[in-house]
Amino acid sequence: MTPIKKNISNSLKTLLIIGFGYFFWLMLKITLEYIPLNTNVSFLMIKQTEVTERPEYLYFFYTHVYTSIFVLFTGFLAILRKDFGLKSFHKNAGKIYIFLILLFAAPSGIYMGIFANGGFLSKISFVILGCLWWFSTYKAFNLAQQKKFKEHKQWMWRSFALTFSAITLRIWKVIIVYLFHPNPMDVYQIIAWLGWIPNLLLIEYLISKKHL
Amino acid sequence: MKIVKLSLISLFTISLVACKKDTKTTDSSKDSLTAKKDSVVIPEIHKEYYGIYTGEFAGKGMITSEDGEEYEGDIYKKIALKINRITKDSVYGQSIVEGNQRSFRGIFNEGSSSFVLDEPGNDNTDGRFEVKLKSDSMTGKWTAFNKSAVKAPSKTLKLIKKEFVYNPNFMLDKNSDLIDWENPKDFVEKYTDEETGKTETYTSSKNRVASEAVFKINASTQKLTEKEIKNLRKLDMEIIKNAVFARHGYAFKKQTYRNFFEQTDWYIPVSDNVDNELSAVEKDNVALLNRFIKYAEDKYDQFGR
Repeated sequence: MTPIKKNISNSLKTLLIIGFGYFFWLMLKITLEYIPLNTNVSFLMIKQTEVTERPEYLYFFYTHVYTSIFVLFTGFLAILRKDFGLKSFHKNAGKIYIFLILLFAAPSGIYMGIFANGGFLSKISFVILGCLWWFSTYKAFNLAQQKKFKEHKQWMWRSFALTFSAITLRIWKVIIVYLFHPNPMDVYQIIAWLGWIPNLLLIEYLISKKHL
Repeated sequence: MKIVKLSLISLFTISLVACKKDTKTTDSSKDSLTAKKDSVVIPEIHKEYYGIYTGEFAGKGMITSEDGEEYEGDIYKKIALKINRITKDSVYGQSIVEGNQRSFRGIFNEGSSSFVLDEPGNDNTDGRFEVKLKSDSMTGKWTAFNKSAVKAPSKTLKLIKKEFVYNPNFMLDKNSDLIDWENPKDFVEKYTDEETGKTETYTSSKNRVASEAVFKINASTQKLTEKEIKNLRKLDMEIIKNAVFARHGYAFKKQTYRNFFEQTDWYIPVSDNVDNELSAVEKDNVALLNRFIKYAEDKYDQFGR
């Protein structure tokens, strides 16, 4: 790598880290709206049908909300592939990321997808997203155990692209509402797909171009 | 007097001998007698004039045009006068203009069948009505107590007596104007001149428009579900919710809702608080709609869900 190229890639990295930091902060604020526990706040304000009719809904919902913020954080730390002077830092952060997704965040996400706002079109999207999320994370985990680190890295990027859809979906929402002012559930149907498919396509493109 | 007392005592004695049922009737007749005797109730006269008179409230005043210029013009408002009680020397009622409900007291002149009614005077918009009654219509004028505090210190009234009825099936008219003219939002837009290639930005203001849903969804007749209102914009939900209050004759303080409901022929503002009139279904629906309106306000254009 030439020094100029290295400089560009370094400043790009810094920019990405700052960008992630900003959106992570926004996600953290959204999560904190559910603390202290209130069953009729924020997103739950329009989910009272499920909250009252399905006693299990809140359990899945809170599991998803409370674990996902740590998934986002540990995922980001692991993707930096640095140990920061701590022994097995990458490995441990990655382990937390993987287990939180496989045991909590993805299954609860799939459950919530079944009752998603926006009708069949968004339900199907969220359920597929949840399944791919679980599968890509599991695959990455398996490959790490087999010490196939190149493939592990690729599958981890796929997994994190889907994790990151939590942020891109909300960014798309702001853009689409700003530009077109559609009805709320129409936005929902669009961003349900727009949130994760471009992310995945980008990662597939980078993998095919041997950048990852 | 003695004869009355005597006859009462004799009646009482007879009733004591008679059965229980009779005793009761005698008692009540005695009660009504005494009630009449020490009555402090002032007789009400002309109950036939009681009711709601609504119509035009117009006066000349300074108007600020869109480009900020001031000029003298006609100011039209809607007014409702409620005549609640007429006695020999007093008249009681309320006036409602733009959701501002004021109690008034005054006198009724039987000879000229005219009223002089005074609002309390502790509000800048208070004044005196001098109106004349002619069958179902009421005409006259109003003069502000504090002439410098209001835009149009003297106004004329042309009112017609209207019967207020609550009907849960009342809806906005199908040909209503659905634009909310009161809450324009400014948008910065770009414009590129094709010849010069210069890009200029300008601000345009846009008004909210309600959808056809406001003709279809009635929050007074059916229990609404989250599913039914989930895809509605905030303005639609606000109209559907406030239609409930309009049916009960709520006098809206916000111009937006007056504009929508004054387009109907059924809306008559009769009270500034109708909360106790709401049916159980209406209360539930209002709570549901409030929740969704709050969500729309907080979340619709925000980073979040």
